[in-house]
Amino acid sequence: MKLSTIKNAAIAATAALAISASATAQDLPGFTSWDEVVEQARGETVYWYMWGGSDAINGFVDEFYGQPLQEEYGITLERVPVADTVDVVNQVISEQQAGATGDRGTVDLIWINGENFFTLQQADLLYGPWAEGIPNAALVDWDNPAIYLDFGRPVDGYESPWSSAQFHFVYDSARMDEDDLPRSYAELGDWIEANPGQFSYMAPGPGAFVGTRFVKQLFFELSGGHDQWVGEFNEDLYNEWAPQVWQTLIDWQPNLWREGETYPANQSETDQLFANGETAFTFTQSPSGAAPAIAAGIVPPTSQAFSFDDYMIGDFNYVAIPFNAPNKAAALVTANLILRPDRQAFQVQPDYGFCCGWGIDVSRVTDPDQVAAIDAAMQNLGDAAEDPSILAGALVADIAAEYQTRIEADWERYVLRGEPLPQ
Amino acid sequence: MTDVTVKELAPADRSAGKRATGKVVFYATVIFMCVMLVLPVIAFFVNAFAFRWFYPQLIPDEWSLQAWQRLGLLPPPGQFSIENLFAQWASVPDVVRALGLSLWIGFLVTGVSIVIGMPAARALGMYSFRGKRLVEFIIITPTIVPPIAFSLGLNINFIRWDLALEAAGINLGLSGSVLGVSIVHLVPVMPYVVLTLSGVFANYNADFEAQARTLGAGPFRTFWHVTFPAILPGLFVACLFAFLVSWSQYLLTFLIGQGRVITLPILLFSAAGSGNNAVIAALSLIFIAPAVLILLVSSRYLSGESGAVGGFGRV
Amino acid sequence: MSWERWRIPLMLGPTILIILVLFFGSLGFGFLQSLGYQPQLGNTELNFDAYISVMFSEEHSSRFWAGLLLTFWVAFASTFISAALAIAIALLLRRTFFGKRLAVFLFQLNLPIPHLVIAIGMILVFSQSGLLSRVAGELGLISSPRDFPVLVRDSSGIGIILAYVWKEIAFFGIIVMAILQSLGEDYEAAAQSLGANRWQRFRYVTLPLIMPGLMSASIIVFAFTFGTYEVPRILGVRHPEMLPVMALDFFLNPDLNARAEGMALSIIIAVIVLILVLIYMYISARTIRRG
Repeated sequence: MKLSTIKNAAIAATAALAISASATAQDLPGFTSWDEVVEQARGETVYWYMWGGSDAINGFVDEFYGQPLQEEYGITLERVPVADTVDVVNQVISEQQAGATGDRGTVDLIWINGENFFTLQQADLLYGPWAEGIPNAALVDWDNPAIYLDFGRPVDGYESPWSSAQFHFVYDSARMDEDDLPRSYAELGDWIEANPGQFSYMAPGPGAFVGTRFVKQLFFELSGGHDQWVGEFNEDLYNEWAPQVWQTLIDWQPNLWREGETYPANQSETDQLFANGETAFTFTQSPSGAAPAIAAGIVPPTSQAFSFDDYMIGDFNYVAIPFNAPNKAAALVTANLILRPDRQAFQVQPDYGFCCGWGIDVSRVTDPDQVAAIDAAMQNLGDAAEDPSILAGALVADIAAEYQTRIEADWERYVLRGEPLPQ
Repeated sequence: MTDVTVKELAPADRSAGKRATGKVVFYATVIFMCVMLVLPVIAFFVNAFAFRWFYPQLIPDEWSLQAWQRLGLLPPPGQFSIENLFAQWASVPDVVRALGLSLWIGFLVTGVSIVIGMPAARALGMYSFRGKRLVEFIIITPTIVPPIAFSLGLNINFIRWDLALEAAGINLGLSGSVLGVSIVHLVPVMPYVVLTLSGVFANYNADFEAQARTLGAGPFRTFWHVTFPAILPGLFVACLFAFLVSWSQYLLTFLIGQGRVITLPILLFSAAGSGNNAVIAALSLIFIAPAVLILLVSSRYLSGESGAVGGFGRV
Repeated sequence: MSWERWRIPLMLGPTILIILVLFFGSLGFGFLQSLGYQPQLGNTELNFDAYISVMFSEEHSSRFWAGLLLTFWVAFASTFISAALAIAIALLLRRTFFGKRLAVFLFQLNLPIPHLVIAIGMILVFSQSGLLSRVAGELGLISSPRDFPVLVRDSSGIGIILAYVWKEIAFFGIIVMAILQSLGEDYEAAAQSLGANRWQRFRYVTLPLIMPGLMSASIIVFAFTFGTYEVPRILGVRHPEMLPVMALDFFLNPDLNARAEGMALSIIIAVIVLILVLIYMYISARTIRRG
């Protein structure tokens, strides 16, 4: 039922766009038409809260969204950097707790996905549904489960995609030969045993969803497949495989960096260990592989991305609008601009500093100029990237958010703190 | 080797030799101490201008201004010209904005805290009255109770007060605003100001004021010509503490500013997760610079006999 | 005259008002929330569930007690080490020598540098691929970063202590130097003429004289290191975790029940520090009465 609603909405939105850009967008609560949104947004300031840890991404946002918003729509973009998206979630909750409803909040737009999204959605703290009502929603493949499901749960039009990412690894081609790279968790285990002290992974937990992802993929490989993990959270399935996963990770421990007494807490620590030669691998989420980190001087220029043969989790990230956003119209215009093909073509190229891949389905773009921009971008992913076809072959979707919570808590308990495994 | 030399020396020379060795040990200790203490600052300087400075390089192989370019303080590589530099600065990069905001809040908080705190310090330093111990306890508590204990409650309180005021037709907007953040900074700042100044007033002779007034000086002239010069060194130290406490405040700004009041600590904390050591180091240098400048100006007051620091003896 | 009667309350009023409303008001509100008071959620019944959950539940207790232990250790060690080093350096810098002004300036240099920056500096200097490790590598003392001791982001809080020592040495130093300067050298000269050796002069003359100021400064530093968030956040590990970091983690957890636990933790921190300070005040008052 939900799916059909989504499809209908998508069709409606596509149809609306086909007729004219000023056609009525019926899916935007509080507005009667897109024109009204654009009109109302003029002169507004959009407060866009996002993880601010990368100056390259910050600069990208200011340049590629801030300028056109100002010049074409008369909207001022105030990018608000946060150390962790959960801070914003907390802030919206605080506002609701204190009774700041209506449009008396402070946050207009949030870069979000997964658990943070569901926290807000479940507490009814998001504006919407709107994501399929903005004109450029027609370019989004809303039939793709990786898009209409975020961590296994329906998005329902409360968030709109920005970009895509896929977990894979980075090694230093100056230090290692491509043929010696592990291509599965089993091979990685052997590699760790043969090269003690040279591997570590991000501690699964707050601020390190990549580490959680690394462990999830081990679940897939050990259990022999990804299909059974799709869908609702399955407690029995989790309990069946979890002890083996923890045992594997515990077995690795003596040969990990610092004997597994501690683990890097986030992407930057993992990158630095790799760059300084303390560990042999780091992780990336970008289709251009190691290129963004190379450009920033964070990792050596000889770094190269590589993928396992299977079970590399890929997903989309989104933007959402809180229920009490003071400038909803400007937030909608911004969300729409994000999906414009020329902006999307900039975001995938490592030269411009953003991290991630396409949010739109490029095959839906028809305008010749924009098609040309997309083709040019495809040729410009840099040489530190893994072959896109190999990545596509290993791609699997992320799973229900409950798994993440369980994995993080249990990993900390059994692997980090070393409590005895349940029999 | 040294032993042999010492044995051969005559008694008088021996003590001279001992003194010389003592001097060497002394200087070595002092130099070691100085180097260790400034090591972080040295590390910031090298990192801020290094590129791909990975282990085991001790001296960077590549130097670069990329951190400063990334922060928007210098034009992009290869485009350096005075016009571009001006254009770059005219667009007010985040760092410049944060620097300005931090300075503005710091000065505002310092000024207000001195104006409010001076009478209180005078009362505590010069008079004895009933309940003085209680008043001292109230003023000192914020330095003892960790900020986290009250800032979590304050976070929600501010939003509630805003709404209550809004209902009464007053749109103050405390939470998420510079005003709110500045007011909140007063909490950790006030105790330092009052403690420091009360130490000054404890050693202060009010007779001069009385004389000035007998000679016909009004209260303002009395303050300006008599009180002010007498307490100036202590005042300086109080201002220094007030500014520094506000300047380095992260948690309160973060929780009350709702992420919108982006001062330097907020910017630095958020950059600390980027992994780009050069950018982090450059930001740190910018964060350090004004504070060190102020120290340069005021250091003689700090080690002087102003009695100002002695205020802490009253905890 | 009635003006005279109101004089002192008027002078104290604004300062007291700010601290009462903003500080004690929020502390009180935080306390209410830690008791589960959340009127927006229809929760007005008060209980100690959050405290019990944090300290004794199976889920949190091992984390809490390990964190408490670490917090005590870090606060005591940082205070003691920085006070001792500051005294030593201050005594050293009392002598007249070439470059004294520079040395004194460098001694004070870390005072205005924010804790956050010092914490970041510690990583650049003391991590296994940091400045010191590279020096050691250059000297041939170690052959890879792994050989360098783990000094930051370690589970016993060494990195956190280092950061506090770097920072608080300057704070203690200024206070000790000010006291030493105001004392002059008369007392020690007198002791010397009575035949006291260097250690005796320090132990029985200098130390007792600087002790009151030093103890007051120690309290401020102890309380500060017990409750600061930034330094352990940057230099700590996931487990064990210092209490302030744990409190904010709970508070920032989107689960609203965790919020009460965060408030409870912050109140626990405040109560522990207050109790320690009261014990100190009681002891010092008794010592003074005896003396």
